[in-house]
Amino acid sequence: MRLPRALGRDTGAAFLFLLPLLVLVIGLIGYPFARAIWLSLTDKLVGYPERFVGLRNYEYLWHDDTFREVVRNTLVFTAGSLVLKVLTGLAMALVLNGAWRGRNFFRGLFLLPWITSTVIIALTWRWMFDAFPGRGFFNSVLLDAGLMRRPIAFMAAPAGAMAAVIVANWWRAFPFFGVSYLAGMQAIPRELYDAASVDGAGAWHRFRHVTLPGLKHVLIVTIVLSFILTINDFNIVYVMTRGGPGTATQVFATYSYEVAFNQLRWGRGVTVSIFLVPVLIVAIALVSRYLLRERE
Amino acid sequence: MAHLRVSRRRFLIGAGTAGAALALGAREAPAQKKAASLRLWILKTYVEPTNKAVEASAQRWAAKHGGTVTVEYFTFEDMQTKYVAAIENKNTPDVGQLETSAPARFAGMGQLLDLSGFAKQVESQVGKPPANVAPVTIVDGKTWAIPWYIMAPFWYVWRDEFEKKKVKLPTTFEEAKQAAHALNRPKDNFYGLGQSWNRTADGYGVMQSLMYSYGAGWATRDGKYRSLKTPAMQKVMRWATDIYKEGIQPADTLTWTGSGNNENFIAHNIAQTSNGPSITFAMENAVAKATDAADRKKKEEALANHLALPHPAGPEARRMWAIAMSFSIFKNSKDPEAAMSLVAHLLSPEETLGVMKDSYGQFAPVLDKGRLASKDYFSKNDNYRTFGRAVEWFVPTGWPGPITAAAAEVQASNVLTDAPAKVIVDKWSVDQAIEWEDKKIKEIYSTLGA
Repeated sequence: MRLPRALGRDTGAAFLFLLPLLVLVIGLIGYPFARAIWLSLTDKLVGYPERFVGLRNYEYLWHDDTFREVVRNTLVFTAGSLVLKVLTGLAMALVLNGAWRGRNFFRGLFLLPWITSTVIIALTWRWMFDAFPGRGFFNSVLLDAGLMRRPIAFMAAPAGAMAAVIVANWWRAFPFFGVSYLAGMQAIPRELYDAASVDGAGAWHRFRHVTLPGLKHVLIVTIVLSFILTINDFNIVYVMTRGGPGTATQVFATYSYEVAFNQLRWGRGVTVSIFLVPVLIVAIALVSRYLLRERE
Repeated sequence: MAHLRVSRRRFLIGAGTAGAALALGAREAPAQKKAASLRLWILKTYVEPTNKAVEASAQRWAAKHGGTVTVEYFTFEDMQTKYVAAIENKNTPDVGQLETSAPARFAGMGQLLDLSGFAKQVESQVGKPPANVAPVTIVDGKTWAIPWYIMAPFWYVWRDEFEKKKVKLPTTFEEAKQAAHALNRPKDNFYGLGQSWNRTADGYGVMQSLMYSYGAGWATRDGKYRSLKTPAMQKVMRWATDIYKEGIQPADTLTWTGSGNNENFIAHNIAQTSNGPSITFAMENAVAKATDAADRKKKEEALANHLALPHPAGPEARRMWAIAMSFSIFKNSKDPEAAMSLVAHLLSPEETLGVMKDSYGQFAPVLDKGRLASKDYFSKNDNYRTFGRAVEWFVPTGWPGPITAAAAEVQASNVLTDAPAKVIVDKWSVDQAIEWEDKKIKEIYSTLGA
């Protein structure tokens, strides 16, 4: 009789109300995650029962040159996309934060990439970079302008293909950054800018010493959230390059898919994704910390 | 005992009737007892009329037997994903169309029904596959699927380009490369060849045809691993990479997806490419959709100008890898007898002929009765005559051995096309790329076995 008293009279009801959430968390997050960890420790092949093999999958991938290339590609893809998103997001927010006619229209317009289907975006950018005569946007413009005689095969070289997928990923997500920064900028008290102006600060100094510190939390949250989404991105790379040419744009998600679904090695395919878990846990902890701090 | 005496006449009548009944029974598909409800998975090809024809054939069976057939499609893109998900969720269809490597892979998983008895039973009705196609569906002496047709690649060329420059039509890979040099006009954005080493059958399929025709392979006759580090493989890799280094292909060739070579060939940007008859379908379709007389004339000329040649040979032989489609019955099927009846119906010469006629040459029947019935269809013109011979040159994945799960994984892992890409993109040497490829294949065989 002591325990219920210590927990309070409403303990039973509280548990009852929490139960659906508990079931959801265990069913939709806990179980799949635990199952994925377990699968990564097995030699599971599609259609066969799994056998425990310890860390053999991790060991294999650690020594696999393709996997090392995948890690490198993923880092370049994620970092490249993030830098572009932050810079253009800030630029977008700065422009839309000003008082000018028609800004509300542009605030809506800039959200267009964000609400468009990722597959459509990937196909559109693939078309933009296409070297097929008379079809690819960039090549058609450059050829028609007489700036070159033959189309450039942007996506045939590793650097070009990587740049193409980065650009597509950036274009899809920069409105999220822009809108977040705009909201952050509007929360910065006007007096801070006035005081800085009185002290003789120019536009750059006001941006550096008032806007950026005021956006610190928003910057961190958007960067970490986008980092999590970008490092796991599948659609853009799969639709645009399939990881090619060769393995030049193969990233974690596409490689994991190829190993699991084409090679039918589920254990190893899951392990490719599990390699990211420590990085993602740190990122999630960072986001949670900043989000909770903001609430406090 | 007089009543037991049987006259010679009565005996002959009785024997004749019984014989006819037996023969009829043997020709008939397995008897189907009650209204069945079946799920059939079929490939959705680029040629839409073929898809509709297969579906219509299945529905004819349903109407005849008072059952229902739910037809679900998969594409080349999601074929693997759909089957993998179905196998893991124990939600496989009753009857599924399988590609070249799938019977070996799925039989090994214990997913398929042993159709050895059924294959013998329906042999008189549908015929037998030729010796080079049969191994696609047989594993360890048991038949797991019944082959239906192959969707083969051919060597598409523009006749006028060859005639203008008086270049011989190629019969070998070397001749194709030489012709590409002779026909190449980069200044006009017209190239001698278009062969992508991508992650589609246009990539790994042609690579296998090239390898096997040069006598290079990664498996022994009994399906075990053998090293790829051979002079034949060096020649293969040199051909595969020189076509990129020597500027006889459009610069973006490596980025083409499954339709890139079709588009570039039809647009007259390249003189030669390897592809299935979907090119012919597109060109015949274009004529049918011509807007006026002038447009029609132009499209008819283009149609007459395109040639589908047999896939090139190598120094050893002409060996052509192709997509071999077969029907399997999954063990989970609740009504295997009805499933067998449906398969027998789909494979019958009449139904095969019906589907084939809507395939624009893409569908080359493999069972001898179907092949016999298709003779007239494939004598339409030179291109169709070549389509009709596809079965002669077919070799399966893992030649010269049987298809095994390991051989299938070699193809699925894309090492066959990633290796030349390493030379073209990452500037590896041919030997380095072969060494890398061989190591990957060896690892697959060491973990999966033959």
